[in-house]
Amino acid sequence: MSKSVAAASGHALWAKMPKANAELFALTYGSLVTELIRDYDSIEEINEQLEKMGYSIGVRCVDEFLAKSEQHGMTVPTCQNLKDTAEVVAKTGFRMFLGISCDVTMAPDGNAFSLFMYENPLALFVELPKTNDMPTAAGGATKKWEDLKYSNLYCGILRGSLEQINLRVSCEYIRDVLQGEEVNEIRVTLREVLQDGAGDDYKEE
Amino acid sequence: VTLSPTMASSQLLLFVIVGKNEPLYEAEFHKMGGTSSGTSDSVTRQNYFVLHSALDLVDKASWTTNNMYLKVVDKINHQQVSTFLTAGNIKFMLLHGGKTEDSIKNFFNEVYELYVKLSMNPFYKYDTPITSKFFDTRVRAVARRYLS
Repeated sequence: MSKSVAAASGHALWAKMPKANAELFALTYGSLVTELIRDYDSIEEINEQLEKMGYSIGVRCVDEFLAKSEQHGMTVPTCQNLKDTAEVVAKTGFRMFLGISCDVTMAPDGNAFSLFMYENPLALFVELPKTNDMPTAAGGATKKWEDLKYSNLYCGILRGSLEQINLRVSCEYIRDVLQGEEVNEIRVTLREVLQDGAGDDYKEE
Repeated sequence: VTLSPTMASSQLLLFVIVGKNEPLYEAEFHKMGGTSSGTSDSVTRQNYFVLHSALDLVDKASWTTNNMYLKVVDKINHQQVSTFLTAGNIKFMLLHGGKTEDSIKNFFNEVYELYVKLSMNPFYKYDTPITSKFFDTRVRAVARRYLS
């Protein structure tokens, strides 16, 4: 599936989706994250919780994606390899649900790809506190904010949705604008193509 | 302690954001090319004292008008205190040596926008001291633009 077809479908689907207020969305996510920070002591647990939440969301996303495309008469051709999948996810999927466009880079061995997001709707207005600033609730060791993956939800979403189409992946947030980098980068690595329902088209490369 | 005016005070601008119980943010702006080599300690403390004592007058003035911008609430020697009240009753106070109303109003409005953006940060708890360097840099830039 060529890039431009994916992008065009993305734009068209985005136009047909019901919209929510971006600020409300970002503020809701922000309060969710701050509540998690109050509840859990270690940053790793928080990252894990965010990923789990994302997973539940992702599981439902794929069905909606396929249903909506069909409903609006947009055929999504079967992906022949991971590269096609990556393009569809980045250009159509992200566009449709979040209204943002991502760039994709494939890894040389073809088993992984990186998603680059230049804008992050979840992190509107967010500025992470410095390490010495925020006291913890339980008076334990101060948290290391550099380890917080604020938008880890995306990793869970990717994992959940790809698992529904028989691709078991692991996703990781590599670079985060909130931590001072230039772009947000998520690395998705294909671990296994699950047997159930995967036809001959999918080959493990 | 006599409040004697010095060369420094008319070129020194003191900006304080006051919450319900305590100051949340302080910044001093020196005019560029000022002749003073640096304000002495007693003058700086005096400035804070002047702002603090103006708080009562701010409360009084806030009942007289619907506007957020309260103009000049207090005059001491050659210095004036102007105040801006946010919707949540946070006070922006500026100690200055007689600037034009318009430039102060613009300054306050820009700082208000920055303050609102800051308060949208989920990690910033309302009515707590502001420690963001980002906010500090931006406020100083706004001050340079409108107040020098």
